[in-house]
Amino acid sequence: MTATPGMRDLAHRLLAYEVGEGMSSEPVGSPTLCVYEKLRQCLGEFVGATGFQSLAIRALTLARSEAPSLSAARVTADGSLQGLGEIGTPFDVDKNQAGDGGAILIARLLGLLRLFLGEALTLSLLRTAWPGEVFEDRNSAHGRSA
Amino acid sequence: MSTQDKVKINKLPTGVPGLDEIMGGGLPEFSFNIIAGAPGSGKTTLAHQFVFANASPERPALYFTVLGESAIKMLRYQQQYTFFDPAKLPDSIRFINLSQLVLEKDLGAVLEGITREVEKVSPAMVIVDSFRTMVRKPQSDMELQSFIQRLALFLASWQATTFLIGEYAEDELRDNPIFTVADGLFWLRQTPERNSIVRKLQIIKLRGQDSVPGLHTFRITDAGVQAFSRTFGLSGHVKDPPSQRRLCFGIPELDKMLGGGVREGDSVLVAGSSGTGKSVLATQFIAEGIRHGEPGIVAVFEERPQAYAERASTLGLDLETPQKDGKLTILYLRPLDLSVDETMHSILDAVQKIGAKRLVIDSLAGFEMALSPGFRADFRESLYRMIFALTGIGVTILSTVEVDESFTEFPFSTYSISFLTDDIIRLRYVSIDGQLRKIMVVIKMRGGNHAKDIREYEITDKGVVILGKRLTEYQGLISGIPVHSLRSDPTEEPSQDAEVENKH
Repeated sequence: MTATPGMRDLAHRLLAYEVGEGMSSEPVGSPTLCVYEKLRQCLGEFVGATGFQSLAIRALTLARSEAPSLSAARVTADGSLQGLGEIGTPFDVDKNQAGDGGAILIARLLGLLRLFLGEALTLSLLRTAWPGEVFEDRNSAHGRSA
Repeated sequence: MSTQDKVKINKLPTGVPGLDEIMGGGLPEFSFNIIAGAPGSGKTTLAHQFVFANASPERPALYFTVLGESAIKMLRYQQQYTFFDPAKLPDSIRFINLSQLVLEKDLGAVLEGITREVEKVSPAMVIVDSFRTMVRKPQSDMELQSFIQRLALFLASWQATTFLIGEYAEDELRDNPIFTVADGLFWLRQTPERNSIVRKLQIIKLRGQDSVPGLHTFRITDAGVQAFSRTFGLSGHVKDPPSQRRLCFGIPELDKMLGGGVREGDSVLVAGSSGTGKSVLATQFIAEGIRHGEPGIVAVFEERPQAYAERASTLGLDLETPQKDGKLTILYLRPLDLSVDETMHSILDAVQKIGAKRLVIDSLAGFEMALSPGFRADFRESLYRMIFALTGIGVTILSTVEVDESFTEFPFSTYSISFLTDDIIRLRYVSIDGQLRKIMVVIKMRGGNHAKDIREYEITDKGVVILGKRLTEYQGLISGIPVHSLRSDPTEEPSQDAEVENKH
């Protein structure tokens, strides 16, 4: 089972936002890592480092089945992501994202959050890390699967 | 020191229906409180209700989670309650996980972590869930005492109203510094009683204000915790002065026996064995009230409202129309694990909703059976509280009670509750001339004189109909096996009815 279109769309929006941020300021790394780190910060605060690490490992496991490029990636004890390799390269928002491991990983992580907390609460939490316009005009993320 | 000089303690709504009344108006602002109880007793739900009721972007809440239940699962389950508003996260309510800190560091570091977050946010409310897991690591009594003292002082200074949640056993109440420091101590219990579970809440301690003492039942529904005060939410109500108004049954001869009817605000007991017409009398009482523009409530336990209304229609009494018009509510209360307080809550809600003046409880035996077994032991005491509360707001209560028919005794009730009632009407079978006939007598009327006559009656398609004059030609009627006396002319002695009639 793949990440739902709704979650992929949301992941792309977050990644696109980070690309835009990267162009307007000093680049701080790949968009995937930027999104992942922001998620780690905002979720880690309320689920704890161990709680986030568990979610991240599960998301990575699910994402690997769709994106073999993630085989080298791993989640460390503090929840940070290592070994992204090539998928850590700059993100192309215009490209068909089917093969993009970073977007799939983020979509899987968001999917888990939505599965456990529901869409309303997930978006509330994400709004602490991203501005509201990132989520505007977004169709409801339907689908049950993470 | 005048009242003006004294500091006024603001009271915050708890968000738990019924609990503010139990607490004497709400939770004292800036208080440092403990919610204690066994797993599953509703501690977290109660704390969530409090923060969701009070938190706003201007008055945010910090909710620290420590070990115990995972935060993600806690939110997953808690959002099922209707009070949970996801929009309040994270601007108004912020969840912070302290597990790592607790696992890896000492209490000093934990205090530092809490301090840092509190200074950053200036929360109006702070919750630590579960505090018990935070202090479980081995440490000296002095270290623990110091930690609690500093935490309480710090949070009070930062003007935060605090709840610490902990899984404590009741034998830990003694010698635990946390309970000494706390301003408020709320204990939640759930105990199995036969096949029912009964939840009870006790405010063991609440500084600065009067709470209602004792154990209060509570229930957890999809709306969260709902508490039922032992005073039924009427503790501040001043009892209405006794009324001189009389409420009729619409049975002329009986109303005459009662000196014109029962006094408004009385508690009336109609006692008799099965088939003597207690429910019929009760139905006539409620129907007569509706005829006079007095809305009524019938609490039934032994039959469904529809069946009750259909039975009334066979007596020519229309209970359907007043139900549609909002003048009558027939409550069916029989989930088998009710507390008296919950039953009362339902009745009071209905009374207030339609402005009821008359209430019929049909029957006390059914009421008792609807209660959780644990509450049946306190049935008499509970009835006392219920009758006192309802008559205090001017409701006239008529309760029916079944008594075992005996030919050697003349009991009024199997519950020894006759002292709780103002008026008693006793119905019984009597063996006369080879027939099992029915007699009625007014045993007691607290508010005035009443007829002493023993009257024969029948149940017809018009309800209870009292026959002829008082029975003067028999002696020992109340034994059920009377003997024919020599006197046969009832006109030789004046009727007690007439005496009463003359007085009014």
